[in-house]
Amino acid sequence: MHLVWRNIFSFFLFCHICLAVVKDNFKECEQSSFCRRLRNLKPGDSKYVLNLNNLHVSENSVETELWNSEENVKFKLVLTALAGDMFRVYADEVSPIYPRYRVQGVLNGEPQVERLDVLKRDKDEVIVQSGDNKAVLKSEPFKIEFYKASNLVAVVNGRGLFDIEHLRTKKSETEGEENSLQKEDAGAWEENFKSHHDSKPRGPEGVSLDIHFPGALRIYGLPEHADKLALRTTGLGGVEPYRLYNLDVFEYIVDSTMALYGAVPVVFAHSTTNTVGAFWLNAAETWVDIKNSKDQNVVSSLVNLVSGQASESSVDAHFMSESGVVDLFILMGPKPKDCAKQYTKLTGVAPLPQYYTLAYHQCRWNYITEDDVTTVVKNFDDYNMPVDTMWLDIEYTDGKKYFTWDPIKFAHPDQMLKNLSSTGRNLVVIIDPHVKREGGYFLHEEALANDYYVKTKDGNVYEGWCWPGSSSYPDFFNPTVFNYYKGLYSKLKYENVDSDVMIWNDMNEPSVFNGPEITMPKDCLHYGGWEHRHLHNIYGIVYTAITYEGLLARNPNKRPFVLTRAHFAGSQRFAAVWTGDNNADWKHLAASFPMCLSEALAGISFCGADVGGFFNNPEPELLQRWYQAGIWLPFFRAHAHIDTRRREPYLFAEDIRNRIRTSLRLRYAHLPLWYTVFYEHERFGEPVIRPLFYEYPNDSEVIDIDNQVLVADSVLVHLISEPGATTANVYLPGGRSTYWYDIRDFRKREGNGFTSVPVNLDSIPVFYKGGSIISRKNRPRRASTLMHKDPYSLYVALDNNKSAKGTLYIDDNESFEYKKQKYLYLQFEFKNNELSSSLIDNTDYESVEWIERVVILGAPTEVSKAVITSKTLGSVDLETHYEGDALIIRKPGVCVREAFVIKLV
Amino acid sequence: MYNYEKLIRILYLITSLSLLVISEICGSEVPRPHGVSLSRAPLYRPDKNFTCFDNSKTIPYSQVNDDFCDCPDASDEPGTSACAEGIFYCVNAGYRPMNIGSDRVNDGICDCCDGSDEYANTNKCINNCVELGRSAREEAMQKEELLKAGRQLREQFSQEGIQRKQQKKEKLLELTKNLEEAKRVKAEKEKLKNEAEELESNALDYYRKLEEEENNQKAQAEALKNKNEALLAFDRYDENKDGKIAFSELQQYQTFDKDKNGEVSEEEAKYFLNDLDEMDSENFCTVAWDRVKPYIMIEEGKFKGTVEPTYDETAEDDAENNEEHADEEKEEEEESEAEAEAQEEEIPATPEEEVPPSKQYDQETRKLMDAANEARNEFADAESSIKELEGEVRNIQKYLDEDFGPDEEYAALHGHCFEYTDYEYTYKLCPFDRTIQQPKSGSMETRLGSWSKWLGPDHNKYESMLYEHGQACWNGPERSTVVKVACGSDNKITSVTEPNKCEYVFEFLTPAACSEVHGEGGDKGHDEL
Repeated sequence: MHLVWRNIFSFFLFCHICLAVVKDNFKECEQSSFCRRLRNLKPGDSKYVLNLNNLHVSENSVETELWNSEENVKFKLVLTALAGDMFRVYADEVSPIYPRYRVQGVLNGEPQVERLDVLKRDKDEVIVQSGDNKAVLKSEPFKIEFYKASNLVAVVNGRGLFDIEHLRTKKSETEGEENSLQKEDAGAWEENFKSHHDSKPRGPEGVSLDIHFPGALRIYGLPEHADKLALRTTGLGGVEPYRLYNLDVFEYIVDSTMALYGAVPVVFAHSTTNTVGAFWLNAAETWVDIKNSKDQNVVSSLVNLVSGQASESSVDAHFMSESGVVDLFILMGPKPKDCAKQYTKLTGVAPLPQYYTLAYHQCRWNYITEDDVTTVVKNFDDYNMPVDTMWLDIEYTDGKKYFTWDPIKFAHPDQMLKNLSSTGRNLVVIIDPHVKREGGYFLHEEALANDYYVKTKDGNVYEGWCWPGSSSYPDFFNPTVFNYYKGLYSKLKYENVDSDVMIWNDMNEPSVFNGPEITMPKDCLHYGGWEHRHLHNIYGIVYTAITYEGLLARNPNKRPFVLTRAHFAGSQRFAAVWTGDNNADWKHLAASFPMCLSEALAGISFCGADVGGFFNNPEPELLQRWYQAGIWLPFFRAHAHIDTRRREPYLFAEDIRNRIRTSLRLRYAHLPLWYTVFYEHERFGEPVIRPLFYEYPNDSEVIDIDNQVLVADSVLVHLISEPGATTANVYLPGGRSTYWYDIRDFRKREGNGFTSVPVNLDSIPVFYKGGSIISRKNRPRRASTLMHKDPYSLYVALDNNKSAKGTLYIDDNESFEYKKQKYLYLQFEFKNNELSSSLIDNTDYESVEWIERVVILGAPTEVSKAVITSKTLGSVDLETHYEGDALIIRKPGVCVREAFVIKLV
Repeated sequence: MYNYEKLIRILYLITSLSLLVISEICGSEVPRPHGVSLSRAPLYRPDKNFTCFDNSKTIPYSQVNDDFCDCPDASDEPGTSACAEGIFYCVNAGYRPMNIGSDRVNDGICDCCDGSDEYANTNKCINNCVELGRSAREEAMQKEELLKAGRQLREQFSQEGIQRKQQKKEKLLELTKNLEEAKRVKAEKEKLKNEAEELESNALDYYRKLEEEENNQKAQAEALKNKNEALLAFDRYDENKDGKIAFSELQQYQTFDKDKNGEVSEEEAKYFLNDLDEMDSENFCTVAWDRVKPYIMIEEGKFKGTVEPTYDETAEDDAENNEEHADEEKEEEEESEAEAEAQEEEIPATPEEEVPPSKQYDQETRKLMDAANEARNEFADAESSIKELEGEVRNIQKYLDEDFGPDEEYAALHGHCFEYTDYEYTYKLCPFDRTIQQPKSGSMETRLGSWSKWLGPDHNKYESMLYEHGQACWNGPERSTVVKVACGSDNKITSVTEPNKCEYVFEFLTPAACSEVHGEGGDKGHDEL
C-alpha cells in the first residue's frame, strides 16, 4: 500500500516539475494494434462489394449484402432515410461468432424515419431519394455517394478504407505459421502498454470507414481536444490522428490532437456553399485521420499549378474504432444551422437549466470547512460581487467516501445549506464513480454484497486506485446498479431546506490512477459480458444519466443541475461540461473558446473552462482577462487546484477587484439573454454559442476564426489572450450593411471584416449586432436568484433599415411548470420608429417584471419624446434623452406580460 | 387564520406608525423620502425640483424615488434599487440605523431589521429591531465588561512588561560592567599566559630538536625499508634474473590487471614501468615502485581504497542500495546510525608505543609546561566568560529591541506557549518565538514559522503577527503563520485554519489586545436610537 502511494506521489512530483502532460502515459496510434492496422489500410479500390442484385426495399430503407471479397465474409448493409434530412448507414456481420456491440442510450430515442424512394436499381448502382437528398450505392468498388439536390456532398468509402474486421477464432501457433499470407499484427490477440497487459480475448474486431467531402474547405467537430476549432490535417509532420478515448489527462497541453476527457464522434465539413455532417456512433476507442486538400504536399500543388488545373478543395475523414459496428449518420445540411439541428434531433438538447446555474459559480479544491464556505460568500457580499453557487470538491466527504460528509469539517450540511439559501445561494458537491474499498462504508458493502462492481477478465471484482486509495467501480451498465445508484441521491436531500444540493461528476472517464493510460483495463467485464473496450467512451454519459435521473427523482419539480468531465454524444441531455484541469496560462485561456465552440457545435452548449486556470497561480492580468472572457461562455465557474493560492476575486487590489466586479455584473446583466438562448436551444436545437462560420457560412474569411464567439446571433465577443494588449484585431462579419455596436460606448461599426479595436485592461471587445434586441437586467444584486422581480432594460440595436428584432423568455426560473405553458415568450420588434412587444406563444406566466428603460443604438436623431400604448396604461408620454449616439427612453413602466407599442416622436 | 394574521399585521402597523408619531414628536422628524437619513433629509424638498448631489441634473421631485435612476450619483433614488451604487438608509428604530447598498433593496432578503428595505415584498420581513437592540445592548455590555476586565489584565501585563524591561535594562547595565571587568581579566590572563608560554617554549626547544632528529632517523629507516621491499619485489618479478624487469615479466602477474578483465595487457604492464619496455632495479625502486606498491598491497588485502577511479559494478549496486535506504522508514535510519556508532567503538585503540626520548622531559621543563598549561586554561576561561556575557548582552539587547506594544503589554506573553488542539493536530503559539504543529499521533512536530514582525496596518499595527520561514512544504513554499490578535479575558487560541496551502491563520485572544483600538469602541452612529 505504501509503495503504491509512493509511486502515485512520485508520478505527481514528476509532473509538477515538468508542468506539462506526461505524453508517455498515453498511447500514440503506432502503440495501439487496431489503430496501427486500420491506419495502414491503403487507399484504393475497396475489397468490399455490394451485392445489389439482392436488394430489400422498405418504405424507409434499403438493405443489401456487403461482401468482403478477399476474406469471403458476408455483411449486411442498411441505408435508412431519417426525418430532418439525414441518412443512416448501418453495417454489421451477417453471422458473427459473437454479437458485435451496438451503442445504447446515446441517441435521444429511436430516430424518426422518412420516406425513401428508389429511383434507379441495377446490379452496379442503386439510387434512392428522400426529399431533395439522394444517395447512390455503388456495387464495385463499394461506395455510397450523397447528393444535396444535384451536388455531391459526401462519399462514404471514397478512398476505399472501409473495413470491418470480422470476428474470428484464434489460430493455433502452427496454423498461423503455415498461413503466412495473412500476417496478423503482433498485437491483434494481446498487447502490452507500459506495464499493462491487454488480453484481448476476442482478437481483432476493428471498424474503419472513410468519408470524402468534395468541395469542403474546413472540417470541424470531434471534441474534446485542446486544439483549434478547425481540424487540421493529421499525419503531416507526424501529427497524430484525433483520438477519442475518454482519459484523465494530467496537465494537458494545448494545440494537440491527444485524447481528453470527452469524446463526441461528429464532424461538420463546411464550404461557403454547403455544410454536411457525419456522426459516427461508436463507443469504443476511436482515432480519426483528417486530410484537407489545402494541406496537400508541395509536389501535387505544383502539378496543379503547372497544369493550370483548379483543384477543387476537399476534406477527408477516416474513422477507426477498436470494435463495434458501422453506424453512421450523414447530416445533409445544407447550412451549419441545419446540421446543428439535425445533430441535436439525433442526440438531444440540453434541457432548460435553472436560471441560477447560468450565473457565477465559485469553486476551489477545497473550501475546507462550513465556516469557510460561509465566509467566502460573506466576502463576496462585503465587496459587492455577485455569486450564486458555492462548490465543494472531494475534501467535504468523510475520507473520499461519496454520499458522506466529513464528520468534523462538514458536520452540519443542512445548516450550511440553510445559510447559503438565506441569501439565495446554492450548493454543488462532487460525487465521483469510484467507490472506496473500506469495510463499513455502506456503498462498498452493498456493492460487494450485491455484486455491483465491474469485474476483471477473470471474473473477480476489479480494484483500482483513485482519490480514496483502493477503489472499485460500480457497473452502471447493469440496470439494477443504475437504479440503485440513482436512489443514492436522495441521501443528499435535507428537510426544511429550501435548496437542493446539485451534483458535480468528476473522474468518470473513469479515472484509475494505476490503470493503463490512467483508466480501466480494456478487458474488464461489464453487464452482459461486454468488455470495457466496447463501451469505454460511454461509461461517463451513463454515469451522468444516473445523476440526472437521480436528482429528478429526488425532486421532480426542480430542474437538476449536473456538471460532468467525461462526456459523449448526447451528454447535453444530462449535464453541463467543463474543459477539465486546465492551466493558469494564456494558452489555456485562448483554448477555452475553440474548445467550447467545438462542444457547442457537437450539441454540448453548456460548456465552460475553469476561470483562472486550474493548475498554478494566474498573474492578475491573466485572471482579469479570464473573467472578462469567461462571462461569455455558457458555463461560468472559477476553480483552482489545492496547491494554488486563494484567488477569490475580492482578494485582489482595488483596480483588479473593480474590473472583475464589472465583468461579473456584465454577466448578470445578460442573464435574461443567456436564459432566452438556452430556452431556444431546447426548443430549436441550435447551439447557445456559435463560431462565426455558423452565422456567416458564405464568408470564407471566417472559417478559421475561433477566438471570437457569438452568443446566439446577437452578441460578438473577441477574446484577448495575450498580456499587455492595446489593440485587438476583431473580425466584424456581415459586410458594410451589417452594424456592430461596441457595448462600452455604443459606437457603431460596420461589418467590414478585420477591424483594429483599441483595448485596455478594463474590458475586451464585445459588440451587439445591429438588428437585434437584447434584454438585460442592469440592477446589480448579490445573486441571480434575487433578480427575479427586477425590471428589464431593452437594448435595441438598429440595423441599416433602422429596424431590429429580439426575443425574451421568462418563467419561474426553476421548475418544470414551463412545460405546462407557464411561461412568456416575447417577440420585440422595432420598425418604422415603433417598438412593439407581443407574445409568440399563447401562454402566460404571472411575472411582475416590467420594462425600466429602452436604449436604442443607432437611433434616429431629433427624437423629442416617446409615447407608449398598452391596455392598462392607455397612452402615456415618455421622456427621452440621448447619451452619445444612444437614445434612452425613460421608464416605460409596462409589465412584460402586457403587449405594448412605443412610438418615437 | 388568514384574517387573524391580517389583524395582527394591522395592529403591528398601527403600533409602528404610532411609534413613528412618537418619535416625530420627541425628535425632530422631518418628512423625508424612503431610505434617506436624517442628516440628508433637508436635501430632499418635495416643494422643489431635485438637483442631483453632483449637480449633473435637475429633475422634478416626482422623479425622486420613482424607481428609475436619473442621477449618475444615485442621489435621486435613495429608497429604491434603481441606481447601481446607491445607498439605502434604514432607520431600524430600537436598534442601530444602517446604510445598505441599493442592490439590497427589494431583493427578497431582509437586510434591515425594521424590514424597510423590503417594502415591495409585504409580509416578507419581521421587524426584530427591538430584540436585536436588546441583544446588542447585552452584547455590548458583555463586551464592555470583557474589555474592562481585559483592560485591567492588560494593565497588569503592561506593568509586568515595563518592569521586565526595566529589569533587563538593569541587568544589561550590570552585564556591561561585568563585561568590562571580564575584558580586563582577560587581558591580564593573556599577559600571564604569554609569559609562561615563552618560558615553556625556551625549555622545549631542546626537545624539539631531539624530535626532529628522531623523525629524520625514522624517515631514513622507512626509506630503507621501502627500498628493500622494492628490491625484493624486483627480484621476484625479474624471473629471468637478467637484472631488468621487462613488461612481459609483469604480464605474468594478475596483480597488474588494472581493469580486472582477467588479463594483463601490454599497456597495463607498461603503465607500471613508466611506459618503458624494461627497467633496471635502480629505476624500478625510484620510479616504478610507487606505482607498483599499491597494487601489491591491494592484492595482499592491506589497502582498501580505490587506487584510481575505475568502472566498478559493485559501486553502482551500493548507490542503488543507498537510495532504497533513503526511502525506508526513519527508524531504520536511526538503527543504522546506532550501528555506525557501535562500529566506531570497535575500532581498536592504537597500541601504546614506547615513549621516545624527545618526550622524556625533565622535571624543570615539566614544571614550566604545567605552569603554561594553567595560564592557558585561565586565559581560556576568561575568554569564555566574555563570550557568555556577550551572549547574555545580545539576548537582552534583542529583548529590548523587540516591539512588545506601546505599553509593553505583550511582553508578558514572551517565553510562554499556548496550545490549540483540533481533531488532527495540536498547534502551539510561542509569541515572539515560533508557531508549531504537532500531529496527535505523536509524530514529529512541524515548525510553522519563526517570529518575524507585527503585521497590522499602520493604524492598528498590533492586530496581527507574522511568523515565517517555517519548514518547507513538500513541493511547496515555506510554511508561515499569521496570528490574528484580539481582546480576550485570557490568553487563548480560538481557531487555526490553513486557507492557503502551508499558510496558517491562528486566531489568538489575549488581554494584551484589550485597548481602545481592539475593543471596537462603542456603537458609533447611534444617532437615531
